[in-house]
Formats: sequence, C-alpha cells, structure tokens
Amino acid sequence: MQGGSSGIGYGLKYQARCISDVKADTDHTSFLTGTLSLREENEVHLIRLSSGGTELICEGLFSHPNEIWDLASCPFDQRIFSTVFSTGESYGAAIWQIPELYGQLNSPQLERIASLDAHARKINCVLWWPSGRHDKLISIDDENLFLWTLDCSKKTAQVQSKQSSGMLHYLSGGAWDPHDINAVATTCESSVQFWDLRTMKKTNAVERAHIRNANYDMKNNHILVTAEDESGIHIWDLRKPKSPVKELPGHTHWTWAVSCNPEYDGLILSAGTDSTVNLWLAPTSAEEEATSESIAEPPAQRADPLLNSYSDYEDSVYGLAWSSREPWMFASLSYDGRVVVESVRPFLSRR
Amino acid sequence: MVERENTRTDDVPLDDKAKRMRDLLSSFYNPDHSSAPKAPSNYENLDAIDSTSFDPDHYMNLLVQQSNLEGLLRRHVEMAAEIKNLDTDLQMLVYENYNKFISATDAIKWMKSNIVGMEANMEQLLDKIMSVQSRSDGVNTSLFEKREHIEKLHRTRNLLRKVQFIYDLPARLAKCIKSEAYADAVKFYIGAMPIFKAYGDSSFQDCKRASEEAVIILVKNLQGKLFSDSESIQARAEAAVLLKQLDFPVDSLQARLLEKLEQSLGDLQLKTVGIENILRESNDPSKQGKAFESIPNTGHEVSVHGFAEAIRAYRVIFPDSESQLIKLAQNLVIKHFEMIEQCVKRRISSANFLGALRTIWTDVLLMDEVLSEAALPDFSLEAGQVTVKKYVASTFTYLLQDISDALLKVNVSPKEAAEEHPLQVALEASKKTVLQGSMDLLLDFRQLLDDNLGLLVKLREFIADWVQEGFQDFFRALDDRFLILSGRKNSTSQDQGFSDGALGEKVLVGTVLEITASFSGGGVQGDENGHAFVSGEICQIFRSVSETLLHHYINMRTQRVSTLLRKRFTTPNWVKHKEPREVHMFVDLFVQELRAVQSEVKQILPEGLIRKHHRSDSNGSGNSSRSNALLDDKMSRSNTQKARSQLLETHLAKLFKQKVEIFTKVEYTQESVETTIVKLCLKSLQEFVRLKTFNRSGFQQIQLDVQFLRTILKENIEVEEAIDFLLDEVIVAASERCLDPVPLENPILEKLVQVKLAKSKERSK
Repeated sequence: MQGGSSGIGYGLKYQARCISDVKADTDHTSFLTGTLSLREENEVHLIRLSSGGTELICEGLFSHPNEIWDLASCPFDQRIFSTVFSTGESYGAAIWQIPELYGQLNSPQLERIASLDAHARKINCVLWWPSGRHDKLISIDDENLFLWTLDCSKKTAQVQSKQSSGMLHYLSGGAWDPHDINAVATTCESSVQFWDLRTMKKTNAVERAHIRNANYDMKNNHILVTAEDESGIHIWDLRKPKSPVKELPGHTHWTWAVSCNPEYDGLILSAGTDSTVNLWLAPTSAEEEATSESIAEPPAQRADPLLNSYSDYEDSVYGLAWSSREPWMFASLSYDGRVVVESVRPFLSRR
Repeated sequence: MVERENTRTDDVPLDDKAKRMRDLLSSFYNPDHSSAPKAPSNYENLDAIDSTSFDPDHYMNLLVQQSNLEGLLRRHVEMAAEIKNLDTDLQMLVYENYNKFISATDAIKWMKSNIVGMEANMEQLLDKIMSVQSRSDGVNTSLFEKREHIEKLHRTRNLLRKVQFIYDLPARLAKCIKSEAYADAVKFYIGAMPIFKAYGDSSFQDCKRASEEAVIILVKNLQGKLFSDSESIQARAEAAVLLKQLDFPVDSLQARLLEKLEQSLGDLQLKTVGIENILRESNDPSKQGKAFESIPNTGHEVSVHGFAEAIRAYRVIFPDSESQLIKLAQNLVIKHFEMIEQCVKRRISSANFLGALRTIWTDVLLMDEVLSEAALPDFSLEAGQVTVKKYVASTFTYLLQDISDALLKVNVSPKEAAEEHPLQVALEASKKTVLQGSMDLLLDFRQLLDDNLGLLVKLREFIADWVQEGFQDFFRALDDRFLILSGRKNSTSQDQGFSDGALGEKVLVGTVLEITASFSGGGVQGDENGHAFVSGEICQIFRSVSETLLHHYINMRTQRVSTLLRKRFTTPNWVKHKEPREVHMFVDLFVQELRAVQSEVKQILPEGLIRKHHRSDSNGSGNSSRSNALLDDKMSRSNTQKARSQLLETHLAKLFKQKVEIFTKVEYTQESVETTIVKLCLKSLQEFVRLKTFNRSGFQQIQLDVQFLRTILKENIEVEEAIDFLLDEVIVAASERCLDPVPLENPILEKLVQVKLAKSKERSK
C-alpha cells in the first residue's frame, strides 16, 4: 500500500507518545500533544488545522515541567487538559489550564489547576468522561483506580473513591464508556476488567492477555475494541465476553493503539510499532449472528477489512486521535515527534 | 366458277360432284336450309350461281362488262355443258328415288300378310298357363299340414338333445377333468351356463349342482396348475385365461402370485446380503478377485435368473400387470443400491464397490431382457449415480479422517516418542498420508473409470466430475481442518505451555507446504487423467493457509520471547540498577528459544540458497571467532558513539541512512523464518526498553546484553542488515531513556562478553 504523502505533517522538537483531540474546540480542528524527553525541557503543543485544511499551525507552545506519558484534553473546556508525567524516578498527574491571552505572552506558563497526587505507583493514564460535561475524573496507576471530583473554579481535585485492582493485576490503562457514565474498563496483563463507579466493584471481565489499549465504540453500545501486543485487534460485544465478535490481524509487530471513529460505524484506526497506521472497516452490528462460526469460517471468504495502511512513518506510532469536529480526519504521532494529520475521505466513498 | 371447277376436277372430280349433288338434294328436301348461303354479298359473289340469291341479270351485266367476246363465248360453252350435266344428274336422282319407293311398298305389303294369324295363338297360350297355376295351388295346400308336423318334430328332437347334454354335463366335465382337457370342460360349462341360469333352480337343480361341483374341482386344478412352477408357462397362462373365463376373481390370484414373487425377491436379497458379507470379509486383496468371480456365478446369479424367469412367466400370465412388475423390479434395484450404500458407509475398497456394481448391473440387464418396459437400465443409472456420488463423497471423508487422525496422532505421540526428530517423523507421516491417500484414491477412481461396465460407462463423465468436485471439496475441507487444528493448538498452548502447540503447528505448516508443492505437480497429473482440476485455486488456498499457519507459528514463538522480555523489564527497578557484572540470563533464555526454533525449522523447512553460501564461508571455524570479534569491535564503537550522540544527531543519521525495511515478507525457508522471529523479538526488546527509564548502570547492562546477543546471533544465524540495525536501535532507545547515558568502556564490554562466551561454551561441552 502506498504510504501516502497526503498527510499534513508537523514536527515536534523531541520524541513524543501522546496526542489528543481538543473536543471542546468547536471552531477549529485542533490537537494537543506533549513531548517525552527525559533530559530536555518538555513542551505541550496546541496544533490547529488551518482553515484550508492544508497546514498545521502551532497555536500554542507551553513548557511542561516533565516528560509527558499521557495527555487528555477536557471534553467540555478546550483550555483544560490533563497530563501524566514522569521525572524518571517518580510519576505525577496534573490538570492544567492554558492561560488566557496566551497569544500575547512570550512564554506563557500553564496554570496548574490541580495535582492528582494521591498515587504511590506509576501512573498510567487520566480519563475524562468522553461524552460531555462531568465533574469526575479517573486516574489509573499500576494497582489502583481513583475517582476524583474536580472543581475547576475552586481549582481543587479530591479523591472521591479508590479501588485496588487486586493482587497481581497490574493495570496498564483504561477507557471510560461513553454510553454509561458509571462504567469504566481497565486493562491489565491478563484481562480487561469492568468497573461500576458507584460501587467501585468489578462487574465483568474479558480474559485476554497483553492488551495494550482499549477503546469504546462511540456509536454502538456494548462494543469495545482492544489492541494486543502480538495477536492484533479484537472487537468485543460486552454482553458476550467469552469470545470476540471479530478479529483483525493488526500489525506486523505490536498493535499499540486503537481508536473507533466517533461518527462512522465500524471505522477503526490502529497504530503499531511497525511504523504504520492501519484503517479498518469492521462493522459489527450487521453480523452479530455470524459470530459463533467465525473460527471455522475460512478467512479468505470475507472481504478484506483493511481499507488502507499508512506507512509513511519513520518510527513506531504511539499516538492516535480522531478529530471529533471533522470525523474523517485523524492525527497520528510517531515516536520521533512527527504529527501527521490525514483524511480518510477517499476510503469512505468506497463503502 | 368454271375455273374453280376445272382446277378441282383435276384433283377430286367425283367427290366434288357427289357433294354437289347431295347439297342440291338436301336443299330440295330442306327448304329452310336455302336461306343460309344468302349472306354473301351480291357484289362479291356474283359467280355464286348455286346460292339462292343469285341474280341472273346482274350476273349477265357484270359478265358482259368484264369479259371480252372470247371470254363470253367460252363462258357460254362452259355454261351449256354445266347445264347439261345438271340435267342428267337430276334425272338420275329421280330415278333412284323412285326405285326405293317401289321396294318399300313391297315390304309393307309382305308384312301385312304375316301378322294376321297371331292373335289366336296367344289366347291359346294364356289358357294353358292358367290351368298349370291352379294345379300347383292344389298340391301346395294338400302338403301343408304334413310339413308343419315334421318341423315340430324336429324342434322337439333338438330340445331333447340339449337336455340330454345338460344331464350329461357333470359326467362329461368329470371326464374332461380326468383327461385334463380343461379347455373343453370350460367350453362345455360356459355353453351350459345360460340354461343353468334360466332353469337352474327348478328342473336342472341336480344337474347344476353336480356340474358346479365339477367346476369347483376344475377351478382348483387350474389354480394348482397356475401356481405350480413345474408346469410350462404356456400351460399356466392357459390356466389363467380359463380361470378368467370362469369368472374367477383373477385379481386376487394375481396379488397372490405377486406376493410370491416378492417373497422370492426377499430371498434373493437375503442371498445378496450374504454375498455382500462375503465381499466384505474378503478384504484381503489377493482373494478379492477370486471372490468376485466365483460367488456371483453360484448363488446370486442363479437366484436372479430364477427371478427373471418368474417375471417373464408372470408377464405372460397377466399381460396387464406391468406396472406392478416394474415397481417390483425397481424395488429390487433400489434395495441393491441401498445395500451398496450401506457398505459404502462402512468403507469398502473400490474393487469391492466395483464388484457390487457389476453384480447389480448384470442383474439389471437380466431383468431388462424380461421387462424392457421398466426401463431398468435408466432407473438403475439414476440410482447408480446417487450411489457413486455417495461413494466418492464417503471416500473423501475417510481420507480426510485418515489425515486428521494421522495429524492428531502425531500431536499426541511426540512426548512419548523420544525420537530425535519427532517433527520430521510427524511431517513425513502426515505428508505420506495425504499424498498416498490421494494417490490411492486417484487409482481407485481410475479403476472405476477404466471398467467397462455398462452402468459405469454411462456414468463416466459424471464420475470424473464428481471426483473432481470431491477433490476440491476435500482440499477445502482439509484446509479448514488445518485451520481449526491450528486454532485449537493456539488456545491450548496458552494454558499448557507452548511447545506442544508449536510442534503441531509446525507439522501443519510443513504438511501444507508439502501439499502445496506436490499440488502444482499433481495438477498436471490430474489433467492427464482427464480431470480438469482447478488446481490453481486450490494451490492459492493452500498457500494462504500455509501463510497463516506460518504466522501463527511465528507469533507463538515471539510471544514466548515477549513474555520473557516482559518479565525481564518489569521486575527490576531500572533506575536503581547496579553495575553490570555479567550478561543477564534473559539473553541465554532468548538464545535458547532461538535454538529451539532453529531445530524445529531445520526439520521442516528447506534451506534458502544464501545460507549455504554463508556456511561454507564460516565453516573454517578457527578464524570465525576472530573475525567476529573484529566486527564486533567496530560495531560497538559505532554504538557507543551513537549512544553519546544527541537526539538531533540520530535523527540526522537516520535521515541519511536508508530506511531499513524491518518487516519483510516471510518466505518458506529456514533463514527467513528465523530472521523474522529474531527481528520481531528485537523490535519487542526495543519497545520494552523505550517504556523504561534507566540509570547509567541499567543502560550499561542493556548495552552489554545487546553486545553479547549480537555476537551470539552472528554465530548462529545469518545476520542481515535489519537485525544489525535493530540491535543498534535497542541501544539508542536505551540511551534515550537513560538519565545519564555513559556507555561501558569498550575493553570492559569486550571482556565481559568473552567471559560469557567462554562460560556458555564450557556449558555446552
């Protein structure tokens, strides 16, 4: 598949892992990304797609005290975002606010609204509820799940509840169900666990090893997509957690991240350490009945779910984000600090 | 006119003359006729003297005007001569007329004198006739009475004779029965029937009873005759006809006879079952041929002959019973085929199958002779189609089962069988099963096709088609089966540890590869046999399957290494790592894994061409370590430099370095699979390193481990550019994630590696 120089590029100064769509910005298609450099001064970039859609403009450049391992934009306030950072030896997480009038200042400083400093272990991620305004936050470290109450005006964050994942379950990440404000999925070494935030109890689990990333389907309830190190991408119907609804081959090496399109049904992006981003079409709703014999069925009989493979990257791709404003655009971030924004329009027409 | 006269007299003077005479005469007797020649105009026919409209004056004038004197004179002479002629003619006519008139008068006179005496004679005749008539009337009346009497007497006599016959009937019937003249008996009885019907209740009661009794005996005898097989068919047919004449309910007889036929059919089937049993028992190939020739000749054929005879008889006896017979015969054929189908379920060799088919066909031909309306050949053709189809299908199922059995056995056995190359053995076994099985199958079908049996000749094309279809389905099914097997291996392997699964997987990969290879050849062979195989399609399927299986295998192997690496990187606190003292043991484990892969791969996959070349190079074992050391030295220096360099520099370096294609397509060679696995593992290593933060010692540890790994890899597999690159990348990643990236001094590094090498060599000894 041709690499496609169609993408719009943007270079960060240092290596980077995370990129996030600024969902609350309804006027522009913009992304937030942060660098990962152990020994240099790290930065958070606010990137905006120019109105013509041909250029990526750096709308804001803010210094960040430590290397950023996770970054998430607040879904209801475009100026607020969260980061997980590391000094090399210790971890921290914080909620930041982009200062007003940042365009006029020379070196604007991020305003730290709150520190999520109840963690004792390595923090993996901070989650916002993806569907709208909600005053709760979730942070996940190796062993615990924290539910925070955030008050932006008072600039405080308090732990509302906390739950340990249990012995020998090292959490690695998570996803907040966009359809259910009380449901959160966390990934750990051998399974995906589902939590009810009201009781902070485990409700369900999908047994599957080495899951890197999980993503809820924004359009279809009960559908969760997971990415695994070696065995590709699996689509699960959470009502039937025994076996996946669908399997996609994933990447040559690990599949690092998956993301369901917020608008188009069955459109899935995956990023891998083989320096490619793959675009899949795997609608689940229509063929739920065909799940039982999916193993026996020869795979050659089905149409190839792979729509395109973007391979114009120099290094592993860790960051991936659909634009919620223009759902046919997505941003990808490879480890060497290159942001590429691409349109999947040419492949939508095929459907 | 004269001119014309003259010219004409030369030719036919007499005729002309006579004609003229007649004309004149007729004009004389028929005055009306004279008007006809009036038509010619006066001017034109002036010289038409004979016409009535002749105008003498006008004629004279014209003549005088037209002719000269000489002409007039000549005309005058002519005219005078003509007139003279006419006068004599007229005289002659008158005379002749007169003569005839006289003779007529004479005749009339004579007639008149003869007629006078006739009347008296006539009256005399009438009188005589009258007297004769009266006499004959008298005779008639006198004889009438006597004649009446005679007639009456005659009638009585006839009646008496009939009565006598009826009284004699029982005795006569008995006599007929005794002499077996049944036809006469029936004729007599039927003759007497009307009388019995009219007077049976009164005057001829006894007689009727007696004769009825006799008839009952008759019927009984006839029935006996009908059912006795020893009687000739003719006699039996006659009996049936007679029975029918006697108003005996023939239908019930027919039914009974049919029952009997069915019974004999049942016997026949029992016998054939026996034959099938024998067939099955004689599975020993040496006996097979004999068994076929001998057995049908004895029991089966005789019984079928009997059945055919019976049918023939039956047809003669009941000519209108074909439909039932047809049903019966078809039943027989159906039962035959059912029997074969049952045998097919139990798996019989093609020779057996052929034998059975042949038996049926001979039967069918026999019956066809007797009962051509039943269209038995066609019928059995249809039934045969179904059976042959089933046979083909079942053969393929069995083959499939054999193969999967072989595979499963292989999957189970390797643990117990402590052989050196269990994989190879397994591979060979399954390969053999597949190839041998399909070869045998082809031979079998070949046999089917070559046989000249009528049934099969007709079915030949179909069979070829079915076999083709069967092969395709079979290979598809095989493909599915492999996939399922591999899937199962996949899932179980996660619980039980990988080796078993990987083993099975490997065998499958090998098998599939072999099939693919043999199939490209096999397709051609198939074509020769007249099978238009879609071998290309199947080849494609198999290729894709083998690809999937290979990927499964690679995945499984890399997963093992991944877990190894994961443990390695998650357990220690890298930020507080101590100074490296020796190569970490995970490298040993990694190498061990690699060796296992190597040994497995070696058994199944072919060597690539490049490898041979490389081997011959490095086989001079003495200098190999040194050259390696030299290379390593150079490498490590470049590595350390890289480690020290800033990010920008590495970026720049990468920019100028050609982008190395790390993940290329896997080929079916030992090297390709090995290097792919190594590359995937190294990439994983890099990714794990990127997720950690190291202190100086941690970084140095990684450096050392990678250095050692590089050495080991060089010794063991063909190290391509991509692997080198990846090893570098691991160190770069470690340096990037290091708080204080100061690499190990080269001599120390070298020394530690050498120590480790020596140690591992020692252990291997």
